Amino acid sequence: MEARPLVVVGAGVAGTAAAIEAAKVGVQVTLIDENPVPAAMAGLNVPLFFGQRFEDALSDRALMMERVVAANEGLSKAEDAGVDIRLGTCVWGAFRNSENSRVLDGPQIGLADHERSWMMKYDRLIVAAGSRDLSFGFAGCNLVGAMGANGAYSLMSRYDALAAKRMVVLGSGNLGLNTAKMALDNGIEVAAIVDVAPSVRGNDALVKTIHAQGVELFSSHTVKEAVGSNGDIESVMLVEIDDDCKPVAGTEKVITADTICLAIGLVPNVEILSLLNCDLNFKSELGGYVPSRDDWMRTSVDNVFVAGDAAGIHDAMFLDRNIARNQGRIAGIAAAESPGAITSGFPPSTGKMSEGQRGTSAFSNASSSPTEVHTLWKRWLRSLANVGGQDIVVCQCEEVTRSEIIGLEPPRYLEWGSDQMSRRSLQTQLKDNPVNPNQVKRLTRAGTGTCQGRNCREQVALLLAEESNTDIADVPLSTYRAPLRPLPLNVLWPDDESEDVRNEWPKWFSPNNKVLG
Amino acid sequence: MTGDRAEIVVIGGGVSGLSSAYYLAKAGKDVIVVEKGMVGGEASGRNGGMISERTDEPALIPLAVESVRLWATLEEELGYPTELIHQGRVQVGVSEEEMGDIFSERDEALRHSISVEPLDPSEVQDLVPGITGRTLGGLFFANGGHANPQRAVQAFAWAFQDLGGRLYQNTAVTGINVEDDKVTSVETTAGSIAADVLVAAAGPQTALLAEMAGVHVPIAPARVEIIATAPLEPLFDIALVGNGLYGRQAARGNLLFGGGAHEWIDVDLTSEPGKPNTPLIRNIARRLAELLPAVADAPVIRSWAGIVEQAPDYLPIIDIADNPSNYIVVTASAHGFGIAPATGKVVSDLVLHGESCIDISGLKLNRFTDLTPDWRQNRGWIPAHGIQ
Repeated sequence: MEARPLVVVGAGVAGTAAAIEAAKVGVQVTLIDENPVPAAMAGLNVPLFFGQRFEDALSDRALMMERVVAANEGLSKAEDAGVDIRLGTCVWGAFRNSENSRVLDGPQIGLADHERSWMMKYDRLIVAAGSRDLSFGFAGCNLVGAMGANGAYSLMSRYDALAAKRMVVLGSGNLGLNTAKMALDNGIEVAAIVDVAPSVRGNDALVKTIHAQGVELFSSHTVKEAVGSNGDIESVMLVEIDDDCKPVAGTEKVITADTICLAIGLVPNVEILSLLNCDLNFKSELGGYVPSRDDWMRTSVDNVFVAGDAAGIHDAMFLDRNIARNQGRIAGIAAAESPGAITSGFPPSTGKMSEGQRGTSAFSNASSSPTEVHTLWKRWLRSLANVGGQDIVVCQCEEVTRSEIIGLEPPRYLEWGSDQMSRRSLQTQLKDNPVNPNQVKRLTRAGTGTCQGRNCREQVALLLAEESNTDIADVPLSTYRAPLRPLPLNVLWPDDESEDVRNEWPKWFSPNNKVLG
Repeated sequence: MTGDRAEIVVIGGGVSGLSSAYYLAKAGKDVIVVEKGMVGGEASGRNGGMISERTDEPALIPLAVESVRLWATLEEELGYPTELIHQGRVQVGVSEEEMGDIFSERDEALRHSISVEPLDPSEVQDLVPGITGRTLGGLFFANGGHANPQRAVQAFAWAFQDLGGRLYQNTAVTGINVEDDKVTSVETTAGSIAADVLVAAAGPQTALLAEMAGVHVPIAPARVEIIATAPLEPLFDIALVGNGLYGRQAARGNLLFGGGAHEWIDVDLTSEPGKPNTPLIRNIARRLAELLPAVADAPVIRSWAGIVEQAPDYLPIIDIADNPSNYIVVTASAHGFGIAPATGKVVSDLVLHGESCIDISGLKLNRFTDLTPDWRQNRGWIPAHGIQ
């Protein structure tokens, strides 16, 4: 098995900064990034909400590799610094010994490209895995062209393969404004920016720039429907909402567009940290569940660090990528200075950052108040329910509707009906147990599909919070499971499985006490 | 809740405890189930969902045969779905060793008048399209099947409540009070509950509970793993065993298969045991792809682990303790799900009549009389030393 002194996951702004910083002082750094992602995976909205709105060129892996490299100046700097870079490689698992799993040969991550998987041991791990799109269900949201801000950003900035012509952007915070600006810069028409909030939320200067280009801003509005033919969006219907998020009759507006981009919020990618059992706490102002970490970006687990969006994301970070970059630098330095990191034998002085530097760089405070983010998200969800009704599909993969979640109904394909079942619901369940998305998942299958819950986790959590009158912070995190990417059996399997392992495969509970590698 | 009482307190909201509670409540008894987490939160909601007549464990056959009979009408009985697919079970041999098991199970089945049919490789292919060409043969158990553990355990819980049963979730047991050789009450994190009879069906925690009442139940906990693919087109509806794996295609289409090495662990009475997966899931994936090469490119979308318990002879324990004499032990050695309906009936019989007409003579506590206290150490059924 490969073993590396320092592995950095994610070659975004934070990850490349971390890798370069650590490499500069002599640490052997391996930097892993899943881009370019296989087109088949992108088609499943993994890892981002791409909404199928990409050009065929995305299937040209060699071309995409070229573009990914060309688009990321951090990569060439990292290469210059001697970083071992592995692109097109995803992290699907992370394993370490703990109370009930003791026979691993040290902490390790599971990696895969489009053809095979393998394990890699690490001494130190920096998780700079970024964020994913917050997604909400509405009529037509499964049509081609409904996508997320990170999906759009990735298709524009990494792949140059966004196939949108005319876009409606949902969300008028800096994320939405930035997405709109980027689309405009890429020659995509932006028809409208829509927000449930009564006024535009983001940066004034950015609003002016965008407004000057003729983009209409609809505050106190929500989406009623994306309308299309042949599975492709052709127009978007908006409607005005009142203070209670109810639609105002007669205010529907139809906007011609082929793309609707959800830029309402982003969610930190904490999957790897969750598998490693790092402490995660709910912080609305940082996008939901985020790892506990100290000033040196150390998580609660030894030798596991975090940086960038994965550590928590807030509105200021969309405009100033230096925040993520500095977090990366700090994590890189901290990892490099952890005992035994430098094996070259001549460690130069790493010049620790001063308290002052750290205070001003990585830890600019989130601008929003502790509950503002999810209050806004809740408002979006409420408006979409008021406008679209209870039959809106929340979990696209398993086609589970809002009312089926609230009714705790068994999946339709079971064709089950009984008096007893009709008397059961989320409300009756709440008499027995505090709200728990894992239980709802078991019974309704919401979140058990091929996208591995990426598209519906937050919706389900918000819905459960609302229905149970529970603070969103008290809704537990729905469990993440390996593999974190949908990997074919013949990719996940070990292609180097030894004869010994094959021959020693135990029958159920026959004597054997070791985990096979 | 202090001052609470019930005729029967069941510890453990897993499938065995809830099935027992259901049949007791159905018999008109006042029952409280105490569960430290949520119903089916541990092995009962995490197992492979296999249902069979257990020709691999002859001592289990009477219980398993009765269970298969009860499963057939369980959904109607309970009023909730269990996702039962009752189309049989196929045991496939892809090695001489597996064929050996098949022959011995066939003989066992014939001894007990269980319906089995030997299959040649082409017949296996008909029942399990896309199965490996390495198949040497198989055995079809007409009465086997599979169900969804999470749905089934919830069905028992809801049906129990519908009968007036009280279910206390997120409630851990902290003590058992015994007077004059009888359990008088159970101390829990939600207060004390007086009881005439105590049923301890707490899976891996059953041993620790029993110690509090002075009963020795020899079991060792272990962690095991399962993987799930994305939904596939319908391939087969039977429960499938072979190539070192066991599993099924769920009603939704996902392949769910487990097997391979287990790891011995320890548990405590109040906390939820950690259940991490390991890179073993890759080896399970390989075995599954080899068993079903036609779907070797099916995406794996999750995996999970569960904690089960094992008695020294790998069999369940269902018995009334000698002392305290109103203490009933139910532990399943990882066979609990399939046999759960009959387990509940047997426990109900033991509570109501002191005996059951279903033969559980091979599942009594006295089979361990000669076991030394350090049996786990002697067998190596203990956690690996230290944590790296």
